[in-house]
Amino acid sequence: MIRLLNASFTRLRKNKTFWLLIIFSIVLALFMIYTQYSDMKNYGEVIEVEQLMLNYSTMIGIVIAIFTSLFLGVEYSDGAIRNKISIGHKRVNIYLSNLIIVTVTNLFSYIVFLGIVASIGIPLFGSITIPISKLLMLLGTIFVTTIAYSSIFTFLAMVISNKTITAIVSIMFSFGLMMNAMICFNRLEAPKTISEASIVNGETKIKEVPNPRYLSKEKRTIYQIIVDINPAGQMFQIAGRTAPNLKVLPLYSLGLIVIFTGTGLVLFKRKELK
Amino acid sequence: MEIVLETNNLEKKYKDFRALNHTNMHIEKGAIYGLVGKNGAGKTTLIRIICGLQEPTSGEYILYDKSNKNSGIITVRKRMGAIIETPSIYGEMSARDNLIEQYKLVGMPSLDGIEELLKLVGLEETGKKKTKNFSLGMKQRLGIAIALAGNPDFLILDEPINGLDPKGIIEIRELILKLNKERKITILISSHYLDELSKIATHYGFLDNGSIIQEITNEELMKKMEHKIELKVSKVKEFVKYFEENKISYEVIDSKNINVYGENNLSKFITELSQKNLIADEIHEKEESLENYYMNLIGGDNDD
Repeated sequence: MIRLLNASFTRLRKNKTFWLLIIFSIVLALFMIYTQYSDMKNYGEVIEVEQLMLNYSTMIGIVIAIFTSLFLGVEYSDGAIRNKISIGHKRVNIYLSNLIIVTVTNLFSYIVFLGIVASIGIPLFGSITIPISKLLMLLGTIFVTTIAYSSIFTFLAMVISNKTITAIVSIMFSFGLMMNAMICFNRLEAPKTISEASIVNGETKIKEVPNPRYLSKEKRTIYQIIVDINPAGQMFQIAGRTAPNLKVLPLYSLGLIVIFTGTGLVLFKRKELK
Repeated sequence: MEIVLETNNLEKKYKDFRALNHTNMHIEKGAIYGLVGKNGAGKTTLIRIICGLQEPTSGEYILYDKSNKNSGIITVRKRMGAIIETPSIYGEMSARDNLIEQYKLVGMPSLDGIEELLKLVGLEETGKKKTKNFSLGMKQRLGIAIALAGNPDFLILDEPINGLDPKGIIEIRELILKLNKERKITILISSHYLDELSKIATHYGFLDNGSIIQEITNEELMKKMEHKIELKVSKVKEFVKYFEENKISYEVIDSKNINVYGENNLSKFITELSQKNLIADEIHEKEESLENYYMNLIGGDNDD
């Protein structure tokens, strides 16, 4: 395992996709700081630096999907997995080392983003306005969800042997998770009543009627569980600081990590390689 | 003789298709074992199984005394290097970086020896050039260097000359011979370029429809393939006596057929026989290539 990790980190340092990921994190941080600074200067908006720190989480799923599928897709397309097995590395170790390298890289990209936002954002916008313990909890949850995302896309990359198909499936899946979360939020945020206009004797009357889209208590619980399990749903809630079950989110993420990694290990162990 | 690899009744089925059918193969230490078979005969399937990429449906293989059913197979695989179909190379990295990667994968204590390996395969001048821009021959040579990174005793090369130009073929041939002679590496090489294989192999395994139909040493094969005269005779004993007295290389096939080997002039040979009152019912002169030998063996037309 140590050898596999050592070799993977050596490759990572030379890998174009990795450097593009880091550059993206830096550029994104600078772009967010610049736009917020403009709003502050032009419209006198009060900018909370901690909000900037959380914003990357909403899109990191797509970033992880792209990086993981390209970085691990090469393992198949360039014959690296074949080589690792034929020189006596265990399949379990190959899978886990790939999961570790992808997870560490994705976390590193977020840490780089945080570093830029903190080092430039705090002098510009002022210090953090929420308790540090609260911020650490939010960031900690983001990190656990990032690991869950990494385990999902590692699973896809290791089970699908084709780099292009892996990339397409991963990106579509990440968008699918986002879409699912948005649909659920839309239903959860639907108001209990809606205004209905009617014309009686030439007069327009507006009255409040029950909203047919408003979810019942049971359905509301189910929809909330779905967004709590969905990593994209978790990230939207964390970034919006609206998560009613913040403490439970890492448990759902751990569940995802166990399910996807466990299933991935079983399938990869049985996989007939070419 | 120490056996490096042995397969016993190895079988591989893909749904209804049987890719390997009770395959029995034996590779001696120090051999260059040519695995001969036309496309689809099962060569790559056999190699994939030996390399651990696929599991056999039944049967077993034994690598350095470890059965694939034993967990120790993973340990002995470290004594092996392989190129399966295409070399395992990261296209975005240079030849040197690819070797560094492999050194770390096999756990070499230092990076010493990388320059020597690059020199061995003639890639010491490639510098920072990305391997995706290498020619096919350069990629194959780098693939061999990568396979050699852990100082293996056993090298598996699956179709190493596929797609190479004549110069590339010669380079790979010389490299294989050098590795076998100087580094004493046992080599399993699969190819359907039989003429090329016949220039390096010390042993052959002929594969057809997933079964090894014959294993033979190069020496035995050359004897069978050399210029020969096939005689159909009624008095075998008298012919044998004459051949023994005159130290003529021969083989009695059955009670009526004898093969005579060597560069014998046919008309002179017939004259000499008739002077001794040895009259053959039929005489045929034959010269075989490895390709013809294989095709005769599998009993089919040469459509490969």
